[in-house]
Amino acid sequence: MKRSIIPFLSAAGIVLLLLAVSYLFMQQGHAEKAPEPPARPVPVDSTKCIAPVGKMRASHMQMLNEWRHSSVREGNRVHVTPDGRRFEKSLNTCLGCHGQNRLFCFNCHMYANVKPTCWNCHLSPMEMP
Amino acid sequence: MIEKALKGNRNYWLWIAFLLSVIVFGIYAYTRQMALGLTVTGMGRDVSWGVYIAQFTFLVGVAASAVMVVLPYYLHNQKAFGKIVIVGEFLAVSATLMCLLFILADMGRPDQVLNVLRYPSPHSMVFWDVTVLNGYFILNLVSGWTVLGAERKGVQPPAWIKPVIYLSIPWAFSIHTVTAFLYAGLPGRHLWLTAVLAPRFLASAFAAGTALLVLVSLILKRTAGFDAGNEARGKLAVLATYAGVANFFLLGTEFFTAFYSNVPAHRHSLQYLFFGLEGHASLVPWMWLSLLSGLASVAVLLVPRLRKDTGWLVAACIGLFFSIWIDKGVGLILGGFVPSPLEQIVEYIPSPVEIAVTAGIWAIGILVLSILLKVTVAVKTQE
Amino acid sequence: MINEQRREFIRKTGLGVLAGLGAASGLFPALSLEKTLLPAWDEKPVPGKIRWGMLIDTRLCKGDCQQCTAACHRVHNVPRFINRWDEVKWIWKSPYENVFPTASQQFVDSGTKERKVLALCNHCAEPPCTRACPTEATFRRWDGIVSMDYHRCIGCRFCMAACPYGSRSFNWQDPRPAIRELSPTYPTREKGVVEKCNFCSERLVKGQLPACVEECPEKALTFGDLNDPESDIRKLLESNLTMQRKPELGTRPSVFYII
Repeated sequence: MKRSIIPFLSAAGIVLLLLAVSYLFMQQGHAEKAPEPPARPVPVDSTKCIAPVGKMRASHMQMLNEWRHSSVREGNRVHVTPDGRRFEKSLNTCLGCHGQNRLFCFNCHMYANVKPTCWNCHLSPMEMP
Repeated sequence: MIEKALKGNRNYWLWIAFLLSVIVFGIYAYTRQMALGLTVTGMGRDVSWGVYIAQFTFLVGVAASAVMVVLPYYLHNQKAFGKIVIVGEFLAVSATLMCLLFILADMGRPDQVLNVLRYPSPHSMVFWDVTVLNGYFILNLVSGWTVLGAERKGVQPPAWIKPVIYLSIPWAFSIHTVTAFLYAGLPGRHLWLTAVLAPRFLASAFAAGTALLVLVSLILKRTAGFDAGNEARGKLAVLATYAGVANFFLLGTEFFTAFYSNVPAHRHSLQYLFFGLEGHASLVPWMWLSLLSGLASVAVLLVPRLRKDTGWLVAACIGLFFSIWIDKGVGLILGGFVPSPLEQIVEYIPSPVEIAVTAGIWAIGILVLSILLKVTVAVKTQE
Repeated sequence: MINEQRREFIRKTGLGVLAGLGAASGLFPALSLEKTLLPAWDEKPVPGKIRWGMLIDTRLCKGDCQQCTAACHRVHNVPRFINRWDEVKWIWKSPYENVFPTASQQFVDSGTKERKVLALCNHCAEPPCTRACPTEATFRRWDGIVSMDYHRCIGCRFCMAACPYGSRSFNWQDPRPAIRELSPTYPTREKGVVEKCNFCSERLVKGQLPACVEECPEKALTFGDLNDPESDIRKLLESNLTMQRKPELGTRPSVFYII
């Protein structure tokens, strides 16, 4: 009698576990309608940016990390694009062109639900005078 | 084997409940600290380390003292230590865990703690301290648990455990030497800038840790009916005695150099601690309490008739432990920051949040120790 | 026995999972970050070529003037906490006996004795703080400046214990509420990191002098390259008797004082 209860309990436990896990996924179905993709209030000439839009969107995080390491720790403050243009490795370089848009970084980050901690220290486009 | 910790009498569960409540209290206090920053502590620009680092420094010593039982038993076959070795190893595990938690509690950016491993800096003593502490924790946990597991099954421990245990012996010395090197290499802090700091750390570690081990074994005898044996306790008491003598001798040499040479830098910190400096004397009663209780405890332990008497032994061990806790914790750490590099005196009092977090971490350590010892006693008293 | 079979199964499954994870990490390229464009090598500074230093003529420094401190703290978003524990300061004035405690204090002439002397990070050539840092968040740069990488700092405050001059401050709480006006020239810091004077490295890169040097109405501060024998600072060091803070400790500071 006692022996047969163990497989039953294990099965019940597994079922409960599966239910719990699927409940977590089912939460997504109850979300409010998906947010709008970010608007682009001020059109910026992408040909002037340090890299093409697609590349920037995909890997600006790695680029900023590399910039940070290079400029803070190695004194190498000059970024050279493949076509020979030079930029300073600084957030101010980005804001130089995109600074008109107070929501420059926040637009996409809010849409993608990403919360980088840059603005704990650096003055964000919203805070710049 | 851990399931053995789930079986206990009412007193055991009351004890666990008490520890858990202290832990919860400590965790709440820590959330305040995480939210507001370390401003909630009593530390400041001039005294930038306080009770957290003091506890860490003291507990590294307690952790290292496990070598006092591991070395005689495993290296020199002193069979008298047979039952107490595991207690020593688990005490080391608990103390090392507390050390790591205190370091974490003291950090301004604990979320960045992995940077120590991502960017190893061999020139930094903190880097080495983190490495050796984690290593020591694993060494003792693995060796204690494996040997206990083997005993439970009634077999010899596996062959690979012997090198692990042998490694833990020099490693115990290393954790405390590295911790001493944290302090002894800083040119601006003259209380710490002394070669005798590392030997003093070792002496005080072996005195306090061994005294604690004696007390723990007596508690186990009283509460769990597990007696490591009077012979083991007797040997440990002798070890604590001579370690205590060495500790106070070294303290005496510090006093001599400071006051005989009369060099202000050497003298000022000890003066502040024991006699007060420029009207600031808040630590003076503590230091004298520590010195007198420590000397009295060592004096008691030196008398064989008293050392063999359980009542006197308990009093002396508590006295010695308490004395070194103050001397190493309060005295050494706070004294190093007074006077400041600009020869100014800023005093430090731990804040309620700090005390709560400290109590919480002590409770975590004692809880881990209680659980490990519960398992130990259960295994060792089985048929 | 049943137990043996179970153990074998668990062991093999565990090993299999580990092997699978190992293979997966090799297959997914996201884990190998693609490098951005390699910077031009001629932009990389030569370590040790320049050594920045400062000379402070305390005779010119007026007793209650605080303009250098105000400028530095304004430009670098240094928070203002009035209590002794939380205070953050990069440059400040202290009495002679506190800035030079190991110099003789016997029968010091009253002019010197009452003088308030500027104290700041000495940007030592042999800094004990960089040796102490477990993450190299503080490090000595190619140009002699002892720099702080706030991104890496774990807030252990070992550098603060190591500094023999008390130059470093810690952010015991969030600094932002204590900054009156945010300056866009330099980021703020967040709670939990150490900070100190950085010899205005962000201004040097633009060819500007440090804020304190530029601001001083009495021109008491001279800043320049200690490695250049023709620099103003070297000429002044050659023609004046100067002092340093705690030279017996071997830290080899880059800040000099004319008393």
